[in-house]
Amino acid sequence: MNGTRDEDRPMGTADAAAHWFARLQDEAATGDDWLAFEQWLAESPAHAAAYETLEGLWVELDGAADAIAAGLNPTPVSLAAHRAARERARPTRRGWLAAGAGLAASLAVGVLTMANWPVEAQSYVTAPGQTRQLTLADGSRVWLNAGSRLEVRLGRGARRVQMAEGEAVFDVTHDPARPFLIDTGDREVRVVGTQFNVRQRGAAFALSVRRGLVEVRPSGAPGATPTRVPAGWRLIHRHGAPAGELSVTSPDDAFAWTRGQLVYAAAPLGEVAADLGRSLGRPVRVADAATGQIRFTGVLALDDKEAVLRRLEAFVPVRAEADGAGVVLRRR
Amino acid sequence: MTDTRSALLAAYLERRDDLLRFFTLRLRSAAAAEDLVQDIYIRIAAADRSMEVRNPAGYLYRLGSNLMLDRIRGERRTAARDHDWRATHRTIVGAEEVAEEPRADDAVSARQRLNAIVDVLRELPEQTQRVFRMHKFDGLSHAEVAQALGISRSGVEKHCMAALKRLAERLS
Repeated sequence: MNGTRDEDRPMGTADAAAHWFARLQDEAATGDDWLAFEQWLAESPAHAAAYETLEGLWVELDGAADAIAAGLNPTPVSLAAHRAARERARPTRRGWLAAGAGLAASLAVGVLTMANWPVEAQSYVTAPGQTRQLTLADGSRVWLNAGSRLEVRLGRGARRVQMAEGEAVFDVTHDPARPFLIDTGDREVRVVGTQFNVRQRGAAFALSVRRGLVEVRPSGAPGATPTRVPAGWRLIHRHGAPAGELSVTSPDDAFAWTRGQLVYAAAPLGEVAADLGRSLGRPVRVADAATGQIRFTGVLALDDKEAVLRRLEAFVPVRAEADGAGVVLRRR
Repeated sequence: MTDTRSALLAAYLERRDDLLRFFTLRLRSAAAAEDLVQDIYIRIAAADRSMEVRNPAGYLYRLGSNLMLDRIRGERRTAARDHDWRATHRTIVGAEEVAEEPRADDAVSARQRLNAIVDVLRELPEQTQRVFRMHKFDGLSHAEVAQALGISRSGVEKHCMAALKRLAERLS
């Protein structure tokens, strides 16, 4: 292709840009075609601007593809059959269209490189006393705290995580076409690309955001208005409560467990005991409800099991006693 | 015969400087081009061996151009989100529920824009509409559209060009 087919009349810039855009959509365009296009682009800033206008329109059309296509002449029936056969042969394409990604629709390229992404669920479990770092197939990183269970499905329209119980730091890769959704049973967390800690323990949900912006909705209610949690904020929600509680936080505290620490500000000892049990891999409980209500503020380094309990004794008026396989905290 | 991935990697090594120069021109930034060309490498290194690429050099340019389009998509969405965010963020503090309906005038102007796009496309000759729809919205390649409609590839290209030109004239 030499770009001179219409040379009986000189091409205006807009014509030439449309010509190049259509030309380069064809998979048959060669390296030489692209070099010729480069030459045209370099000739004038107006050329580049005209081409960028077309790119903007092309992307804009993706945003309302279904509505626009519905307004146009229908695809002939024979072609619909042709397309169906083709989609059976290449199942990735429908997913991309459904996702509105438009990549396949525009160029039928690149789709193929995504074909290896898994859609089946992957389960990740940590036992008490065990943490685990994962890199998911989309490049997102997950750091699982002890006693957690995750189920991950990286679909083409969305990345979904089920976390019925547990705590994890998520560092999510940016992918506007595939939101990252975490369902904790009662709350659903929606992100595009950001870093945050989610904690789901019993009836308590907590989310701390270090970077970006995270949306939280009631689970199973995708239409519900979300709570938006920006970086440096924390959302706490108890199952069944009509509203959660947003507050300014130091996100590093919520991430402390990834550095082998537990950080508390006036936390009830019952909660501290449950965390310690999970982190030490050995049940830790309080002797009675009153002991569970003692408030603890401080940092516990999880280096050595016995040393952690001795330090706790130094901060709060309790004694840690061996109790079968576990530990009981008794007021002294 | 070498597999597709090897062919793509060989083409990449051979064309790396060309790609860098091309995407520097397109992105107006050598650093951004370096990132993008690196991204092309990552994509082809992860490519499915069974896929078929007849024209590796063209594929590399197209892949990089697609990554650019993806970035434009991302930026559009971020802009929309930032807009929503600014419109609502003052109501967030201490409240679980946040009013976040799109503003009525935004919804109306989006609707008008959509109608304008459909109007422009519907004014095109029927065959042009059909070709554009099949390529852009049904996701068929030029070769597939040509085969399905019994026309030449350059015919498909001309219809697509006509549709693009009209859209640009009327909407930008």
